[in-house]
Order: sequence, then structure tokens, then C-alpha cells
Amino acid sequence: MTDKTILSVDNLALSYGYNPILKGVSMQLRRGEVVSLLGPSGSGKTTLLRAVAGLEQPHAGSVTIAGRTIYDAAAGIDIPAEKRDLGLVFQSYALWPHKTVFDNVAYPLKLRKVGQGEIAERVQAALKNLGLGHLAERYPHQLSGGQQQRVSIARALVYNPPVILLDEPLSNLDAKMREEARAWLRNLIVEMQLSALVVTHDQSEAMAMSDRILLLNGGVIEQQGSPQEMYSQPQTYFVADFMGSNNILKGRITEICDGEACVEVAGQLRLWGRRRSDAAIGQEVKAVLRVEQLHLADGPGEHRLAMDLATSMFLGDRYEYVFHAGDTLLRAWGKRPEAAGQRWLEFPPEAVWVF
Amino acid sequence: MLQTLPRRAVVALLALSVFFPLGLVLWQSVLSGPFFMPSAQLSLESFVFIFEDPDFWMATRNTLIVAVGMSVIAIPLGAVLAFIMVRTDLPGRRWLETPILIPIFVSPVVLGFGYVVSLGPVGFFSVWFEELFGYVPWNIYSLAAIVVIAGLTHVPHVYLYSSSALRNLGSDVEEAARLSGASPFRVARDVSIPMVSPALLYVGVLVFFLGFEIFGLPLILGDPEGHLVLTTYLYKLTNKLGTPSYHLMAAVATCIIAVTFPLVLLQRALLKSAQRFVAMKGKSARQRPLALGPWKWLALAVIALWLLLTIVVPVSGVALRSVVSSWGTGINLLEVLTLDHFRAVFEEDVMIRSILNSILIGTFGGALAVGGYLLVGLATHRKPDGLSRLVDYIVLTPRAVPGLMAGLAVFWVFLFVPFLAPLRSTLFSVWFAYAVVWLAYGMRLIQSALMQVGPELEEAGRLVGASRARVSLDITVPLIRNGLLGAWLLVFMIFEREYSTGVYLLSPGTEVIGAQIVSLWASGAVDVVAALSLINMLLVGSGLALALRFGVKLHD
Repeated sequence: MTDKTILSVDNLALSYGYNPILKGVSMQLRRGEVVSLLGPSGSGKTTLLRAVAGLEQPHAGSVTIAGRTIYDAAAGIDIPAEKRDLGLVFQSYALWPHKTVFDNVAYPLKLRKVGQGEIAERVQAALKNLGLGHLAERYPHQLSGGQQQRVSIARALVYNPPVILLDEPLSNLDAKMREEARAWLRNLIVEMQLSALVVTHDQSEAMAMSDRILLLNGGVIEQQGSPQEMYSQPQTYFVADFMGSNNILKGRITEICDGEACVEVAGQLRLWGRRRSDAAIGQEVKAVLRVEQLHLADGPGEHRLAMDLATSMFLGDRYEYVFHAGDTLLRAWGKRPEAAGQRWLEFPPEAVWVF
Repeated sequence: MLQTLPRRAVVALLALSVFFPLGLVLWQSVLSGPFFMPSAQLSLESFVFIFEDPDFWMATRNTLIVAVGMSVIAIPLGAVLAFIMVRTDLPGRRWLETPILIPIFVSPVVLGFGYVVSLGPVGFFSVWFEELFGYVPWNIYSLAAIVVIAGLTHVPHVYLYSSSALRNLGSDVEEAARLSGASPFRVARDVSIPMVSPALLYVGVLVFFLGFEIFGLPLILGDPEGHLVLTTYLYKLTNKLGTPSYHLMAAVATCIIAVTFPLVLLQRALLKSAQRFVAMKGKSARQRPLALGPWKWLALAVIALWLLLTIVVPVSGVALRSVVSSWGTGINLLEVLTLDHFRAVFEEDVMIRSILNSILIGTFGGALAVGGYLLVGLATHRKPDGLSRLVDYIVLTPRAVPGLMAGLAVFWVFLFVPFLAPLRSTLFSVWFAYAVVWLAYGMRLIQSALMQVGPELEEAGRLVGASRARVSLDITVPLIRNGLLGAWLLVFMIFEREYSTGVYLLSPGTEVIGAQIVSLWASGAVDVVAALSLINMLLVGSGLALALRFGVKLHD
């Protein structure tokens, strides 16, 4: 742990009854860093966030924030949620419907016995910062979803917590607003130099917003790293499959040469790709091909195969080609519309991962 | 969903069923004599008469005392009970839920009788207490006793509404307060209680309103010392002048409705504002129950004491009284055991008929009523227009009319309308009165079942070519059949419990147990009343057992 570390989770384990949810998770969050907890539903990402907040009861491990131990199973330390001094933005926003926007944001300061004048000042400043200055006297039900989210963020930030936790912050917004809010939120976090832990199930959201991603699977961290690392150097099949937009082909290894393996798919396609596991010749494997890495070629050549193009779809900024590959479909992207028929497709070996 | 024409027909029939009897009461109240007498003229003399009657003012005063007193007792007890049951780790919570709701389903007249035979001057518990301690510190016939008993037996109503409000309160708003730095106590003070306060206010108005309606308890407990409330005053008016004093009764009824109707409208407004608070709800995380620690024994003791006073004491009293020939100081229980009372019941045609009629009205009548409520429900289902809003108000109206007066009004309808007259002494008149009196209750059951059906399921039916009526028949109704079964069982229990509505409709052929008990009680036939009361409780109990067997929720 360096002195830049602000949140440190060590070997945290948690169960609901006999059902283990977190099986020993360790992670660190550095000052001014945004870390995303990414994973499919049931992977334990929200549970981890809530355990850090003190809303779930782990049974082993420890959590330290800014050098202060707030949970340690071995030492019997368990600081209650209200003493942890963390900010949490709930997925549902959890605004108190009987309080105005102003009172919602002022409440944490009131609990901290801040003087009336200073409360008014700090709340107004926080609201103004989030573009809510004119809504202070409204009640939550009079606000739009996006405005409610901003109030919820203002409430979590108003007392300057060392770490801010965000639970699926964008999932209650509609698709179009989500992209705008994503940029706005990332900008806010960077500008205010916040240290943030964000739970999300959307990989593009995680990549766009965070400095580092933790991918959880079944209660353990499958892989962690920068968005670029996670995307281009997946260590396991799960990570390769979860990140990005993929073609998955099932086949059998027929040849191995250095770090590359040749996979035969459905008895007809033969592809060379990077070996990402220690599977031997004759073993069943899966080849992961990023959709954007496959290109149409103008004729035969190395790593090129003749394929049967079924159709092409217009996606606005590009076309998606759909090929028949044995009994499955293969997708690739390109700039031009193409008529159905025989085409050459290039499979660069560095873009084919064999697991 | 119904087609336009049947929809209008249903609403018209509903409006007629509700407003015609009610209008008759109001009309009768401004006549100088019974409406069928040619000499009756428009006049306010009935109001003048009752306003000059000191008994009326005494009854008004007592009614206010009962209504305020029972609110003061029932609301804090019910709210605390709800908090303990919903939010703490009290052992055995799951088992306590059903007993807590039982008082709602026991006929108040049976309860009142139970208190007399248990805690009255020569009641079982009074005699035992006197043998142990040498004196009896309570007087069951005092106004204070009526208030306390009414308060204790209305705790379940408060419990129902406050517990569902507490359950609906998403734990995320409380967690947000915890993370902002509030201790559990401050969370309760600043977030939980303010957020359930609309529900508490609503239930406060409800209990106060029910205070104006209670009839069975003051009829039985208030009689010996002459404590009248407005409903019992109305009941006693029957014999006051010797001749049928319908205009006076209608005047009293009008006075009661003048108080209860605004209260019903107030409840409606409060319910609307309460719903505003549950508009936003997060994903409901598992609530961590509050650890009671050693306090759990105190909590359990309070609940046990309350259950003892409101269920065990009266119910065991009724059961015991139905199998002893007499009771008093120095009598050995084993020597007076007998089944004679039941024999007496089953030897008399009238009694057998009243039991059979009660079963009929609960089973067939209940099913028929649920069918009628369903039609009204379908007429307004997902059609938020003027007609539906009108139905909303029509449904609420009978709520403001106590059962005793509703029964009287229906009696007049069957007396007044020539082609209905032959039906007066059939069970149909009783069924009609019951169905109108419990309209609001039944509609709530039906509507909550209808709301469970996803709108897209019905829309899909429309899109593939089914008419509104077809969709109702083929999609909506089959989807809510479990809800309908539950509604039927609950309506069965409520119809078995009902007693006041049948009082004025009691005639050869229309006897039901509840009304029969009221009439027999006046004649002092305690033995038969005890046997009938026990049979009544067994009927309600079998409905309850079936409902629990089928997993019917006793509340929505």
C-alpha cells in the first residue's frame, strides 16, 4: 500500500447464509482515481460496494479508508455506516421525498453540526456546481430523472468524503441521456479530483469513465487493469468475452507453432491465432475474434479465407457484415455496403485469441 | 375492460344500488312521518325532535368520547406493533401475523358477548379473579371499558396500514441517511417516521371514523348502564314512540352521514398524498432487522397481553359459556357442562334456518358479490376517464353509511318499490344490503388483483384482434383467478361476521346468525346466543383456515 492509496480492501469475504457472494476480494483505490467494478449480475460487484459502505456484513477481511481501518474481521472492528464518512450515490437515487432538494443536500451537514449560515452557503455552492441552483425549493418528485441524479450526487459530495461510491449511477437514465451523463460525470470527477468507486454492468460505461477496471466474476476478481489492458490483453476467456464485441468460434487445435495455434472450425475453416491457454493439439478450444479486427480483403492471401456473406446491415457510422461460418454466424465491420455472395475475409493472427 | 354499452349499464346499476337507498334516507329525514303514509309532509320536525332529545346529545357526546378514546389507544399501539413486526428481530414474527389480524374477522357483537361472559359481573374471569384476590377491579359496563375494548380491538386496522407503509418504505432512503452520518435513532426520527406519517394520519382518520360506526360493542356493553352512542340511539328509536319512527331514524342517520361522509373524502385525499411518498422506489435491498436484545421479552409480553385481552378472553368466554348451563361464584365447572344449548339450537327451525342462510350468503352470496365487484372493476379497469372517476366516488359512498342504516335503507327500498316487494322476505334483500355495504372493501380486493395484470398482456390481446370484452374474458380474468378466489374467501368471512346490516331485514326467511344474535340478545336468551356465537366463530374460522391454506393474504 502506498501513501497515495485512499481505499484498500483486503481479502474481503461475504456470504448470504451458506451462499458465498464475495470469496476474498482485494483491491486498492488511489487518490484522484476512478475505479469501476464491472461484472455480470450476481458477480458480487454491488455487494462489494455496499460492504465498503457498511451496508452489508462481511465475515472476513478488512477495509481501510485514508489510513483508518473501518472494517477488520480479525480485529473485530466494524465502524457503522454513518461513521465511515463515505458518499454513496444510490442506483435509485434514494432522495427523501419529504424533504426539499435543499434539505436533502443540507441533511449531512446538519448531522455534522455545521452552522446554519455555512450550511446554506455550502449547499448553494454544491447545487450550483451541479447546475441545480434554481431547483433548491423543489421536492424530489418534481424533478426529472437526470436532475434527481444530480441532487443525489450533490448530497453525497457536500461533506467532502474522501471516497465517493456510485452504484450503477447511469442505469436509471434513458439511453440517449446516459451517454451525455457519462461524459458529464467523468468530467465532474476529474475536475473535482474525486476518488470514486463505480459499480456498473456496462463495459463501455466502465471503459469510458474509469482509470482502472476490476472485472468480477462469481465473487472473485477475474482481472484488473486499465481499460486499454482489459480490452486488448484479456488473460482469460471470460474477460475476452465480456469486454468488447466478439465473434466466438468453437473448434479443435490441429497445429501449434511457437505462440500460435491453428484452429479448425466445423471441419472447414482453419485459422491461426495467439495461444492464450495451454490447450494441446486435438483439444476443444474457443477462438475469440473482435468484430472490429476482421477486414474484408480484395483477394486470396495469407490468413485470408473465402466466406459466404449473407447480408450487410447499416449501423449509421459503419456497416456490419454477416457471414456464414459453419453453423454459426460471423460478424465484421466495414465502411461500404456489400452485396451477398462469396467474399475474402482477413483474420490477422494477433486478433484471434485461442482459449 | 368492457365495451361501452355494458360498461354504462354496469355503472348505472351500481349508481342506482348505492344512491337510491341513500337518497331514500335523506328524503325520509325531511318528512313529518313514514314515507309510505299519505299524511307525511315535507318538514324538519324530525330534526327538531332529536335535537331537543337529551338522549341524542348524550349519545353524540359518548360517540365522540369513544371515537377519540379508541384512536388514542389504537394508533400508538398499532404503530408500535407494526414497527416491532416489520423492523425488528422479534422471535416468532411469522407466527404472530395471523393472530394479530383475527379481531378484524370476529363479529363485534360476538366479541361484546364474549367480554360480558368473561369479564362481566359474573363472568368466568371475573369470578376466578374474585376467588383469587377477593374483588373485581373492573366494570365492563362502564363507558371507559367500552372505549378500552373498542381501542384494543381496532389495533389490527392500524397495524395493517402502518405495517404496509413500513414495508413499502425502501431501505435505500434509510441507508442514504446512515451514510450521511445519521445514527439508527436519527434515521427513524428524520426519515422513517416522517415518511410513514401520511399513512399514520390516514389510519388515524379511519379509526376515528370507525368510532362513529361501532354498534355491536356499545349495544351489548353499554345497555346495562344506559350508555348510548349514535348507532345504538338510532336502534332504540324504533321503540321510542311506539309507532314506526322512520323519519326520526332517518334524521339520526343523516346526522351520522354528515360526519362520516366528509371523513371518507378526507381519507381519500390523505391516501392520495400518502402515495406521493412511495412514488420512487429503489431496488429493495434486504433490510437488516433491528436487534431488540433483551427488549424482545418486553415486546413479546406486550403482544401476548394484547392477544390475551382481545382474542383469548372473549373467544374462550364464548366457547365456555356455550357448554355450561349456568355460571357464578362457587359453581364447579365439571358439574355444569352440557350440550343442551346446541341441542336447543338444532331443534328450532328458525335457528337451523339462520345457520343455513348464513352459510348460503357467505358462499353463494359471497361469490355473487365478488362477481358483481369484478364487473364494476372491469368497467373501470385501465380507463381513466370521467366515468371511472364517478365510480370511484360511488364506491366510497356506502363506506360512510353504517351497516345498521344501510340495512334499514335497503329495507325501505324493498318496501317502497312495488316489483321488489316480493323479494323483501327473501335472502336476496339481505344479500343486496351486504353487497352494497361491503362495496368499497370488495372493490379494493378486486382492484388490487386487477392492478397485478401487466398492461402489455392485455394490449397484446387487443393487437391480435380481441375486443375489450374478449380480452377481459380470455386474459384479464383468467390471470387474476387466484386473486378472485382470495377475494371470495375474504368476502365469505366478512359476510359471516356481518351482523348490523341484517338487523332491520330480519324476518321469517331472511334470518342470518349475526342479526339473530342481536335480536336474541334483546330477549335475554343467553344460552342460545352463546351457542350461535360459537357456531358463527367456527364459520369464520373455517373461512380463515381455508384462506390460510390457499395462501390468501389477509390484507393488501
